[in-house]
Amino acid sequence: MRCGVILPGTSTAPVHLRHGAGTVSWIPPKRPGLRAAGLKARAAVEEGGRVGASFYDLLGISEGGSLEEIKRAYKKMARKYHPDVSPPDLAGEHTRRFIELQEAYETLSDPSRRARYDKDLARGLRFAFSSRRRFDQELEEKSAWKNRWQDQLETLKRRSVQRDSTENLSWGARIRRQRDGVSIE
Amino acid sequence: MIRNEENGWKIDFSTEKPPTPLLDTINFPIHLKNLNLQDLDQLAAELRADIVYSVAGTGGHLSSSLGVVELTVALHHVFNTPEDRIIWDVGHQAYSHKILTGRRSRMHTIRQTSGLSGFPKRDESAYDAFGVGHSSTSISAGLGMAVARDLLGKKNHVVTVIGDGAMTAGQAFEAMNNSGYLDSNLIVVLNDNKQVSLPTATLDGPASPVGALSSALTKLQASNKFRQFREAAKTITKQIGGATREVAAKVDEYARGMISAPGSSLFEELGLYYIGPVDGHNVEDLVTIFQKVKAMPAPGPVLIHIVTEKGKGYPPAEAADDKMHGVVKFDPKTGKQFKSKSSTLAYTQYFANALIKEAEVDEKIVAIHAAMGGGTGLNHFQKKFPERCFDVGIAEQHAVTFAAGLAAEGLKPFCAIYSSFLQRGYDQVVHDVDLQKLPVRFALDRAGLVGADGPTHCGAFDITYMACLPNMIVMAPSDEAELMHMVATAAAIDDRPSCFRFPRGCGIGIPLPCDNKGTPLEIGKGRILREGSRVAILGYGSIVQTCIKAADSLINHGITVTLADARFCKPLDSELIRRLVNEHEILITVEEGSIGGFGSHVCHFLSLNGLLDGHLKLRSMVLPDRYIDHGSPQDQIDEAGLSSRHIAATVLSLLGRPMEALQLQ
Repeated sequence: MRCGVILPGTSTAPVHLRHGAGTVSWIPPKRPGLRAAGLKARAAVEEGGRVGASFYDLLGISEGGSLEEIKRAYKKMARKYHPDVSPPDLAGEHTRRFIELQEAYETLSDPSRRARYDKDLARGLRFAFSSRRRFDQELEEKSAWKNRWQDQLETLKRRSVQRDSTENLSWGARIRRQRDGVSIE
Repeated sequence: MIRNEENGWKIDFSTEKPPTPLLDTINFPIHLKNLNLQDLDQLAAELRADIVYSVAGTGGHLSSSLGVVELTVALHHVFNTPEDRIIWDVGHQAYSHKILTGRRSRMHTIRQTSGLSGFPKRDESAYDAFGVGHSSTSISAGLGMAVARDLLGKKNHVVTVIGDGAMTAGQAFEAMNNSGYLDSNLIVVLNDNKQVSLPTATLDGPASPVGALSSALTKLQASNKFRQFREAAKTITKQIGGATREVAAKVDEYARGMISAPGSSLFEELGLYYIGPVDGHNVEDLVTIFQKVKAMPAPGPVLIHIVTEKGKGYPPAEAADDKMHGVVKFDPKTGKQFKSKSSTLAYTQYFANALIKEAEVDEKIVAIHAAMGGGTGLNHFQKKFPERCFDVGIAEQHAVTFAAGLAAEGLKPFCAIYSSFLQRGYDQVVHDVDLQKLPVRFALDRAGLVGADGPTHCGAFDITYMACLPNMIVMAPSDEAELMHMVATAAAIDDRPSCFRFPRGCGIGIPLPCDNKGTPLEIGKGRILREGSRVAILGYGSIVQTCIKAADSLINHGITVTLADARFCKPLDSELIRRLVNEHEILITVEEGSIGGFGSHVCHFLSLNGLLDGHLKLRSMVLPDRYIDHGSPQDQIDEAGLSSRHIAATVLSLLGRPMEALQLQ
């Protein structure tokens, strides 16, 4: 009997690629199954207009940058784009940039998140920021579902063992007792 | 090519038949038993490719089957069909089921004459436990089978698969209510793809789910506070430690109440044990759950809530507004359908245009349908008058009485329900509408034979069941212009209920009334289309066009028949009928309906008025007293004996020229 276990860190971000020949191919993630992941991936890549820029580009540093470099670059950029110091006509654009910078910093300063991001980048994926969060949320949601139904199964199993005891007067229980010939308990 | 990559299976869709090495070894579910989970995943991918390739060549229902590939594989792997029964609600998602149960080699014949049925059918295969086509019947049937199993002392399992759309029908609740009470072992799989109304419901894409049920189902999927509750519950149980069994069970119940998904009480209150939500595309999860439930001695009725995506795995379907629910032949690479160009629109479209026109001048006109916005053309009405179009979900009974309530308050409701689906709301038509003489207008689409969908969707009985009602006005247009006039006529009938029927298919290309606005017809008056002698053909409905063809072919035999379009079955045009009887020797009535309809009413009228006491030879041509299998519309008409050839042959035989009748092409 298998109890499915989800290993942390084995997230499989699905890829949606368009080949030159025009074949539409899609990879359904094997484990865990992400609903609509492929569709969201495509939407994500086209979303937000910042298709080409990676977190590293945004911060203006190289991909192998150290944590110190990341911090410094973030501080510099943040000072430049903080909504409080930006000129009024550029406020909207700067605010957007600032939010992206924040996300870039949060991702790259956390080693495990950075590792995941680098892996995606190596595969040529530039996810728009919000959808990556969505994937993670979905993953979490799915593993929460799994825990929940595992519990539900346990309870059902326990219940079902006692279900046909003589106190149960339902039609089904009576017939099952008759059929099995013995009264349980 | 179907490749296994580290992220999962990759399918290249092309016009070539996909290589399916694993699926090729599967003929029957028994061949699934020894596959491991990796194999099952591969099988699911190959099934997807096979379905897309197959449906691309035949047309049919695509995305619903794609959504349940993993479910089908898991079910057949765990359960032992056909002894274990699997019942698919509606059945249009059962293509992978058919492939896995010995019918793969015939999938290219699906929905065609003499081919596989598009829905499960008992006399097609032992693996099809119950015939379906109309929705929401699976739990009722499943419960019946479970109870029979118990009475007969058998041990097989019964599994029913129902969608969230079908769940909105009253019958599903009736069945769940009863199953909770009877407590028989039964597994209900609720396939939730958030498509409570068909994705064709509105012109702008899928409708937001109809009804309170869907928000309940959505809540079930949320898991915000879940983790905290679960941890707390576990701690409590741990602290109690060596408590007796009853106390532990009680704690579990309490903890379960805390950790159970909000909203699952809906099913729990009905007496079904709720498990879920479950990722419906994860074969491993599904297999685990099914195995565990199968192993339990007495689980009682269990509801497993799985979440799937309609059209999963085929990007064009996932992206399409209507999710490619029902398709004609298409190109597998792009998903582009090969829709034939027709110079005329479908009758459905003419109906919608006419109704919109009427609603523009009369703001009391409202439209009601039962989860069939695209199928009834009311998606166009909804776009123009969003506050006056009501989609009640799959609930025909409610739709009819709801319309009656609207009519009682002075509004003018048009109820657009398919002829065969209105059967479900028949008592409401009789008791709530006709008995009280409320002016509800019924637009019966898909009247007569419907082609590939087959007998479950065939509208054979509506003339019979409507015309026998004392207050109902029953009419049928012979072409699209007549249809528009009848919409106007129905709008004008404000003192009693009325109905009109029209078939599946396109118009004949007749000039339409100006600006799509029809003129009300005189009630109870038909029209003569051609003058002739000796023989009169009185047609009712679109079959008048077939009568015209028959009349044309008879000219070659030197016979000029009188051709009349009855327009009304109730009240009959008695003057016209008397005239036809008095001036002709032979009267043939023709309709695309069962016995008890137009022909019977004419016959009854004639007999009551002494018109059968004389010289007249009367024949009624109706649909035969058997169900006509699915197939092309022309094949079905031939099988039913209502083609122009049959009509002409009847005339010739009655004229004493049987040899010519036999020689007709």
